Amino acid sequence: MTDQRPSSEGHERIEAQMERLVATDTDVLEVEPAATAIPVAARSSARTIVNRFVRHRAAMGGLVALVLIVLLVFSSIGIGPIPGWWPLDYRVPQAILNGGKPTLQLWPFSLGAHPFGQDNIGRDYFALVMAGAQQSIIIAFLVGVIGSAIGTVIGALAGYFRGWTESVLMRITDVIITIPLVAIAAVVAKGANGRGGVWLLGLFLGFVTWTGLARIVRGEFLSLREKEFVDAARSVGVPSGRIIFRHILPNTIGVIIVSATLAMSSAILLESALSFLGFGVQPPNTSLGQLINNYRSAMGPRPWLFWWPGLFIVAIALAVNFIGDGLRDAFDPRQNRQKA
Amino acid sequence: MLVFVARRLVVSFFIVLASTALMYVLVALSGNPLQRLLEYNGPGRAERIAARTRALNLDVPVPGRYVLWLQDVGRCIVPGGDDCTMGLDAQSRPVLPQLQSAIGSTLRLVIAATVLALLLGVITGIVTALRQYSTFDYGVTLIAFLCFSLPLFWVSTLLKQYVAIDLNSWLANPEMTYAALLGVALIAGLIWAVVIGGERRTRLIVFGVSAVATFTTLFVLLTTNWFRRPTMGLLGILLIGLVMAFLWAALFAGLRPRTRRVLYSALAAAAAGTVVVALAGPLMRSMTWWSFIAVSLVIIGVGVAAGLVGGGHVKRLAAQIGGLVGVTVVVLMAIDQMLGAYPYVYRRTGGRPIPTTGSETPNLDGNFWQTNLDLALHLLLPTLAIMLISFASYTRYTRASMLDVLNQDYVRTARAKGLNERTVIVRHSFRNALIPLATLVAFDFAGVLGGAVVTETVFGWSGMGLMFQRGLTNVDPNPVMAFFLVTAVATVVFNMIADIAYAYLDPRIRLS
Amino acid sequence: MTSTTDATPPAGWEDQYVEPILEVTGLGVDFRVDGEWVMASEGVDLRIRPGEVLALVGESGSGKSVSSMAILGLLPGNARVTGSAKLRGKELIGIPKPQLRAVRGNDIGLIFQEPMTALNPVLTVGFQVAEIILSHQNVTPQEARDRVVELFRLVDLPNPEAKVDAYPHQLSGGQRQRVMIAMAIACDPVLLIADEPTTALDVTVQAEILDLLRDLHRRLDSAILLITHDMGVVADLADDVVVMRDGHVVERGPIRQLFSQPQQEYTRDLLAAVPHLGADIAAGALSVQDRPTEDEVVTGAPDGGPTPALELEHVSIEYPGRGRTPAFRAVDDVSLAIAPGEVVGLVGESGSGKTTVGRAVVSLLPVAEGAIRVGGTNLAGLSRRELLPLRRRSAIVFQDPGSSLNPRMTIGESIGEPLFLHEKLRKEALNRRVEALLDQVKLPHAYRNRYPHELSGGQRQRVGIARALSLRPQLLVADEPTSALDVSVQAHVLELFQELQREQGFACLFISHDLAVVEILSSRIAVMRNGRLVEQGSREDVLLNPQDPYTRRLIAAAPVPDPDEQGARRAERARVLAAGAGDKD
Repeated sequence: MTDQRPSSEGHERIEAQMERLVATDTDVLEVEPAATAIPVAARSSARTIVNRFVRHRAAMGGLVALVLIVLLVFSSIGIGPIPGWWPLDYRVPQAILNGGKPTLQLWPFSLGAHPFGQDNIGRDYFALVMAGAQQSIIIAFLVGVIGSAIGTVIGALAGYFRGWTESVLMRITDVIITIPLVAIAAVVAKGANGRGGVWLLGLFLGFVTWTGLARIVRGEFLSLREKEFVDAARSVGVPSGRIIFRHILPNTIGVIIVSATLAMSSAILLESALSFLGFGVQPPNTSLGQLINNYRSAMGPRPWLFWWPGLFIVAIALAVNFIGDGLRDAFDPRQNRQKA
Repeated sequence: MLVFVARRLVVSFFIVLASTALMYVLVALSGNPLQRLLEYNGPGRAERIAARTRALNLDVPVPGRYVLWLQDVGRCIVPGGDDCTMGLDAQSRPVLPQLQSAIGSTLRLVIAATVLALLLGVITGIVTALRQYSTFDYGVTLIAFLCFSLPLFWVSTLLKQYVAIDLNSWLANPEMTYAALLGVALIAGLIWAVVIGGERRTRLIVFGVSAVATFTTLFVLLTTNWFRRPTMGLLGILLIGLVMAFLWAALFAGLRPRTRRVLYSALAAAAAGTVVVALAGPLMRSMTWWSFIAVSLVIIGVGVAAGLVGGGHVKRLAAQIGGLVGVTVVVLMAIDQMLGAYPYVYRRTGGRPIPTTGSETPNLDGNFWQTNLDLALHLLLPTLAIMLISFASYTRYTRASMLDVLNQDYVRTARAKGLNERTVIVRHSFRNALIPLATLVAFDFAGVLGGAVVTETVFGWSGMGLMFQRGLTNVDPNPVMAFFLVTAVATVVFNMIADIAYAYLDPRIRLS
Repeated sequence: MTSTTDATPPAGWEDQYVEPILEVTGLGVDFRVDGEWVMASEGVDLRIRPGEVLALVGESGSGKSVSSMAILGLLPGNARVTGSAKLRGKELIGIPKPQLRAVRGNDIGLIFQEPMTALNPVLTVGFQVAEIILSHQNVTPQEARDRVVELFRLVDLPNPEAKVDAYPHQLSGGQRQRVMIAMAIACDPVLLIADEPTTALDVTVQAEILDLLRDLHRRLDSAILLITHDMGVVADLADDVVVMRDGHVVERGPIRQLFSQPQQEYTRDLLAAVPHLGADIAAGALSVQDRPTEDEVVTGAPDGGPTPALELEHVSIEYPGRGRTPAFRAVDDVSLAIAPGEVVGLVGESGSGKTTVGRAVVSLLPVAEGAIRVGGTNLAGLSRRELLPLRRRSAIVFQDPGSSLNPRMTIGESIGEPLFLHEKLRKEALNRRVEALLDQVKLPHAYRNRYPHELSGGQRQRVGIARALSLRPQLLVADEPTSALDVSVQAHVLELFQELQREQGFACLFISHDLAVVEILSSRIAVMRNGRLVEQGSREDVLLNPQDPYTRRLIAAAPVPDPDEQGARRAERARVLAAGAGDKD
């Protein structure tokens, strides 16, 4: 009963209308082919998208911020066995200096001995936050990629084949959507923690976060499969697999990239919420959410133990969200910015 | 309509069945309920293991266990089922009583957050759409993105740790320096100027007027010690009621000569409603839910009657607006009574009226208004925290939907008919923009329920969230399943309500 | 204002001075797009006298709609309007909004193109008409409602009392357009602006709406500004014509003068490009001689004669029901044959099932009953694998140049895909074939690397033809290939199509709603209505001597771009309708 959605058609019509109103059609009494035989440097659609993205100030700001954060997080304490430029180990307690207060100074800039302070047993909090952020970023990335991949495949199959395939897949999706994400993720994460580390957690969380994208991709497929270029392909006998992956999927790539980006930002939040509830990353591993949970009781005397990981979560999620918004505008210029 | 509901109920039943089955298996796989007992070496180990195995039917394989659980749940549906337990927990206690004590506070929280987020989100979304690319629009966009990026538990902790403590301290000693007063007034002026927008001159006037008004109001309230003994009084109800009546009439009927009668009848409704409130004065002390509903109905009825009598040609519209004014007066009455109850609650909470733990003050022992004020105050911070994300998504969604509608051909038709902007927006755009929102509400509800799990943990509510978290941590499946059962049913019901709303808003959809 | 493009008004243009209803001088509209001002129209002058119908004609992007919207200030926020528009001497451009609102709907009524979207879906049509009366006149809701019923009766809505409470989705397209007209005339405006009022409608409905407009115009004596791209509609209704192109006025004059002696080359080309029903038969009856005659085709199937390129035998096609919606039979018992090298036109209005037939022929839809034979092989019941070799024999060209090419594939990839799949051509060989095909449709080789959005509508349709012809099919299904194009572009594409057909000799099922286009191309014509084939025969038989009453109505309803002939046809149509009154459903 909810197949009447006037809005998206409306968009297209308005767009077409605007094009008609604004464009001066070159087709009126067509130019003779010979006149245009000189190859014209075509503005490919990829470049248009990049241009639009670059013009989106908030998105570019988000991108720069994210790159800086990732560089900082991975270069400071190193990746795995590769050492970083920060000398202190996050596992080793040090002598507590000045009550463990942060020594970071913005003007004149100096890091000091413990820029983010120390925790109650003297461990360097900067190193701890960096380690936690590494894990959080890895999990978010995994969840985003896996969830998007599953969602894309399920949505594509349901949207293209319709019939019972669609019914079954979409009923499964409906069922999962009725369950609060945090709750189902907590159950799954609890299961993952009994068996392995951070990577398994990311993988398992990916298995429960695909529903939104599956619905979106299905919607895209439902409308695209009715387009005449798909009929054209079918009329010459292009096989289904090739139609799905070569003809339809490339046309949904914008939606998928945007959703994957936004899925990563919500994955950061999801991971931190789970770790906070005690179902996420388990010691000896650490993550931003787990840091906040660990030091919740110490918040009164040492507020920085609460602030730093929180700020990192917000900064990463905000940056990714802005990137997602910029990508959406770049891929889907229907709501293009026209200042009156 | 009935057929639709019946059909949906059948479908919903199967969805709930499938989702509980899925969750039962996942929960069963998430850990071994006997783990701790197996590691335990004290006396009575074997008996304890046997008891728990019996309570949780651990000797039955998982699918069979699910069927047994379904039976336990089924006994609650069958009328007169005495052994309705919803299963036993790991300590062999029935789950049902635990659920009964937990469900009320959680639903209160979830519904309050959903309704508030929806109201504020829709209003903000509409205003941002109408003021596209204004400072206000950019500001709200930024705030929405911030809300999307804030971890819920972090915000909750912040609210609890900083806002509650500072607000309580201030309420204990409500004073402001002149500088602070001036600062608040300037900020209020700035916000209004940005929200209302318009020409530079308009903005300056709005800024000036609202800053001065804020300053004066705060000054008067502070000097009369209002924050210690807040009150509104009949006069307050009447004045605010009249102003609101004027606003409703202006918004939904316009102030043209043709609809002048609507305005008059709305004002009359406000006055008549206040009279009813005054007459009901003796009832207030011993108010119950039933008498509250009765008084409310009388007030709303008086409003509708005022519209019918005074509405003339536009009777129906006037009656609708009269009813709306009646609702407004009811809300004002409730606020007035709760303000009156404040000193009592203040005393009973030891001068810390904004609570940070629990869902109600134990042993409050107050009357209707005092109890409800206490509940409302407990809801304040958790609701605020949960609301943020929903508010952000409603704002963004309403804005997009409204912009889409404003670009539609029929809005252009409405303009071409020479209708004024108010009519174009209220009559031809608003309702159409709400249509796609109906679906979002249903989805969002599950998210809010998830948020409740986190928020309850932070604020120490003994609600369903805590039940879920504790159950999962201790590998105790039945309390966890009780949580999932309730959330699944609630989501499914919300979905159905959304679909009915959808059909109500859009005549192209038929419920059958 | 650029005087070169603006034609001097011919003599007699302003011989008797009557105060104009609307006088537009130097109207210009620009849009701000990506920080730059883009001109949409410039230096437009219009004068409409009382009781006059002025047609503003032009193709896509000519600025005709923009100019009329600008008069009422209905353009989006990024538009800038310059110049002047005076309604009975009162300036409209730049006046305060409340004053403009008093004019909109009250003095000037507007009829939009899409009756589908121009009405608010959540309000009853009666209310939508009533509110315009309520907002401009001091009446009670009951009085307004009574007036709405009266208006609905005036615009010939069936059962007006009941229609007042209907929602737009419960009305047909023609009825919705009648509601729009009722809305536009509700306050007795002195001027009606009709923006493509019949473009979205079927031709028989279009004729009814045009009749209604003419009738109302006579009875209410309001002036009409008619904006359209359709020369037939212009010929039917207008007194004076203004031709626009690229935002400028090209030519203006009284209708007869403009149609018989166009001064500007553009106007001449435009008029020449419009297909004229009946003209081809009258002018080139000989050209049909070299095509297979009707007898050969119908009898030539089983023995002796060549196997038909396409044969439909009692074909029925159903769209399967979903859930509780029952299956819908879109095509019912259709039999039709096309000889090799023959072009058959399949004509019908929306919902007649003509497109469904086309899709079933290229195996995009399954057949419920009957047989479809392409080159003698029955398609019904074949598996995907068995169908694959047969797919080479037939190809399809689609209607919408905007969606028939994959936006993420280059033109070369789109054209080359059938070759890639069926002839397993790769790299150089594939490139050479693609280039040859581009040559055939007269597109430069460089276009191979372009994406569809970089091409104009006509160019995209050429690509669609090249793709369809890549495997040298024996049968081509052309599903309204030109109906989304401007007339001048349509003329070029049709010309190309005829040329290719002559060269390659493929048989063609040409599906169209436009009898005039079908007449140019086909030797035989089949007419469909509500899923059934009502008539088929040689084009002369069908067009000159139609047997079925529906065909007669269809032919009578098609407007021709000649004011005098159209007047005669109108009278003829009235006669046909009167005669076939019993047939009307």
